[in-house]
Amino acid sequence: MQLFSRTAPAAKKAAAAPSHGAPRRIRKTALVAAAAAAVMALSACGGGSAPQSADGTVELRFSWWGGDKRAQLTQDAIAKFEAENPKIKIKPEYGDWSGYWDKLATQVAANDAPDIIQMDEKYITEYSSRGALLDLSKYDIDTAKLDEAALNAGKSEDGLTGIAAGINAATILANPKVFEAAGVALPDDATWTWADFERIAAEITEKSPKGTYGAAAYGTDEASLGVWLRQDGKSLYTSDGRLGFEPQDIAQWWAFLKDMSKKKGVPSASEVVEAEAAALDQSGLATGKNGMAFWWSNQAPALEKASGSDLKILRFPTNTGKADDAGLWYKASQFWSASSRTKHPEETAKFINFLANNVKAGESLLADRGVYPNTDVRAAIEPKLTPADVKVVKFIDQIKDELGEAPAPPPKGAGAIQEIIKRYTSEVLFERLSPEDAGKKASDEMKSAISN
Amino acid sequence: MSAMSELSSISRRKGKITAEEKKANGRDNKAAYIFLLPWLVGLVAITIGPMLMSLYLSFTDYNLLQPPEWTGLENFTRMLTDARLHNSLGVTFTYVFIGVPLQLAVALLIALVLDKGLRGLPFYRSIFYLPSLLGGSVAVAILWKQIFGTTGLVNQVLAMFGIQGPGWISDPSTALGSIILLHVWTFGAPMIIFLAGLRQIPVMYYEAAKVDGASTLQQFWRITLPMLSPIIFFNLVLQIIGSFQSFTQAFIVSGGNGGPSDSTMFFTLYLYQKGFGQFDMGYASAMAWFLLVIIGVFTAINFIASKYWVFYDD
Repeated sequence: MQLFSRTAPAAKKAAAAPSHGAPRRIRKTALVAAAAAAVMALSACGGGSAPQSADGTVELRFSWWGGDKRAQLTQDAIAKFEAENPKIKIKPEYGDWSGYWDKLATQVAANDAPDIIQMDEKYITEYSSRGALLDLSKYDIDTAKLDEAALNAGKSEDGLTGIAAGINAATILANPKVFEAAGVALPDDATWTWADFERIAAEITEKSPKGTYGAAAYGTDEASLGVWLRQDGKSLYTSDGRLGFEPQDIAQWWAFLKDMSKKKGVPSASEVVEAEAAALDQSGLATGKNGMAFWWSNQAPALEKASGSDLKILRFPTNTGKADDAGLWYKASQFWSASSRTKHPEETAKFINFLANNVKAGESLLADRGVYPNTDVRAAIEPKLTPADVKVVKFIDQIKDELGEAPAPPPKGAGAIQEIIKRYTSEVLFERLSPEDAGKKASDEMKSAISN
Repeated sequence: MSAMSELSSISRRKGKITAEEKKANGRDNKAAYIFLLPWLVGLVAITIGPMLMSLYLSFTDYNLLQPPEWTGLENFTRMLTDARLHNSLGVTFTYVFIGVPLQLAVALLIALVLDKGLRGLPFYRSIFYLPSLLGGSVAVAILWKQIFGTTGLVNQVLAMFGIQGPGWISDPSTALGSIILLHVWTFGAPMIIFLAGLRQIPVMYYEAAKVDGASTLQQFWRITLPMLSPIIFFNLVLQIIGSFQSFTQAFIVSGGNGGPSDSTMFFTLYLYQKGFGQFDMGYASAMAWFLLVIIGVFTAINFIASKYWVFYDD
């Protein structure tokens, strides 16, 4: 299961590895990078952004993660902005999720951060609490039309350090083709329970050819855990930046997964590990090997394209069979943030304002980064949306009245949580640890990760 | 004239360097330094400077975003209780102490076969050397991932014999083994060195041994191995140092996370994760220096032990 927008084929991951030429020299390379970064920071000779040129043109650097489709849409929006603002040039820098954060960390350390940064919920506190992000509330950005929850997600004690680029919800995507082939009916997501989910998944596996499974395993990132905890009245994090659950809560979550694994509702442990590394279009759902899988809503169109099947967006199952208890929430899929060291904060803010509020930007970006938080733009671009996008928007609107309270923002250090969850999920699936032991160890590690 | 008096006369002559000579020497030195400059700048700016910086950082809490804060030995004491670090040491040691001897044994074996004067030797030599060129590369690591996947080539072949293979690289019990195998496969570089070494052994020893009725095996143990021991030693030192720093294969095969279940979490990979994934660059720097010490110790042990088994002909 990959709930975040990771479209990285493993090959490209490699680009992040300091591997060219001297394959085994990581130690040196890492040191060199770190130290060079530090040296540059100390001597304050880092670029920041290109200085204003003689003719008054300002160049801004804009970095984001995402695949080819996103790159096209975004560059289209950039072109429109540049046409309106001939004195501002936007230089795009984009890559895959996996290498993005390593690169950003080094750039920021080297005082060479891009002016406009596409930011994720997991890292925004990390950066903003260390003063790396600009407080956008001090600049001319119109927030009146933005969805309130999405706007609040970018606020913290350090100010408004991120403007939501889109609204997302955690979903289960179902591939009707797999259901049909197995002769299993699609569930009613307004009333289904976790027991139904388990039963249906096992039934599909049983009635499908070998290698096809009812559901992808959860447990490879924090979103599905978050939903599970919320349904139990707990949360991933508390508002004061601690863990919002006990070891036994996460142990139960793993126990249920292990049970599903025993009943073959989800792929084998090895296959789960392999699936983690697969790119979106190689995922089990896209290749027709999984009947259901856990994804963010904005990823549905890309998956639909990859799978060539008319995917159905489902709510998470509940314990009670009532959709009101699903505990879903609107997540800011990603943020527009700005480097606090940008030399051109006004121009940077102008561009972010354009992305967030201008219909022209909306017409380019559509729903790729989630449903538009600006309600006016959302309405204006509706006719342009593809059928798959429309489905996503419908789903987001549909769950509006069932949403739970907005979750507390991930604290500093939350970037490490996903890796911990993943690791212990495989410990449980390979039966190297019991769910209880995994629960204890994982919560200990998580505690120390977010307490630094 | 005795040796003693000759020596003293040399030193006397040495003492009488004229001013002119000095000047000329100075000019020569200056020219030398200018020619050395490109290398020297690189050494200082890219190697020594950053190394000193990282030594400093290893005593600090440095999160990449804020200036480092001096914490003394805290990073090093933290290492003592870091269970994942201990695990990563275990993984790295297993890799080094199984992978290196295996690789050298294969390299020697192939070198011996090729040394028999095969027709088309250059061709075979190139073929066997090829994996060494490719082995450390990202592309091969990805290929490896495919071959050893649950539905990869290896399991497809096994399936023909009715055997259901595990997911070699996705199962914690076989993942490290698969990476060691990748390392062994890149035996080309030591093989070439062995081949060169074998060519250096004078044929007369073998001729003499044959006359005395020594078997092929005896010749190998009594002549080839001792004569080759400096080469073996050279390869051993290089490979151990290189293997301790191994990174790419594990990074690619495990998708960067050292998984499954940390079974391929090399020390370097953990270092990388700490530094760039968790913004703990101070700790990562301390780890790098710890690795340097480990490599230093093992290299020293290697050199000390070499006195007892390496045979120098001259």
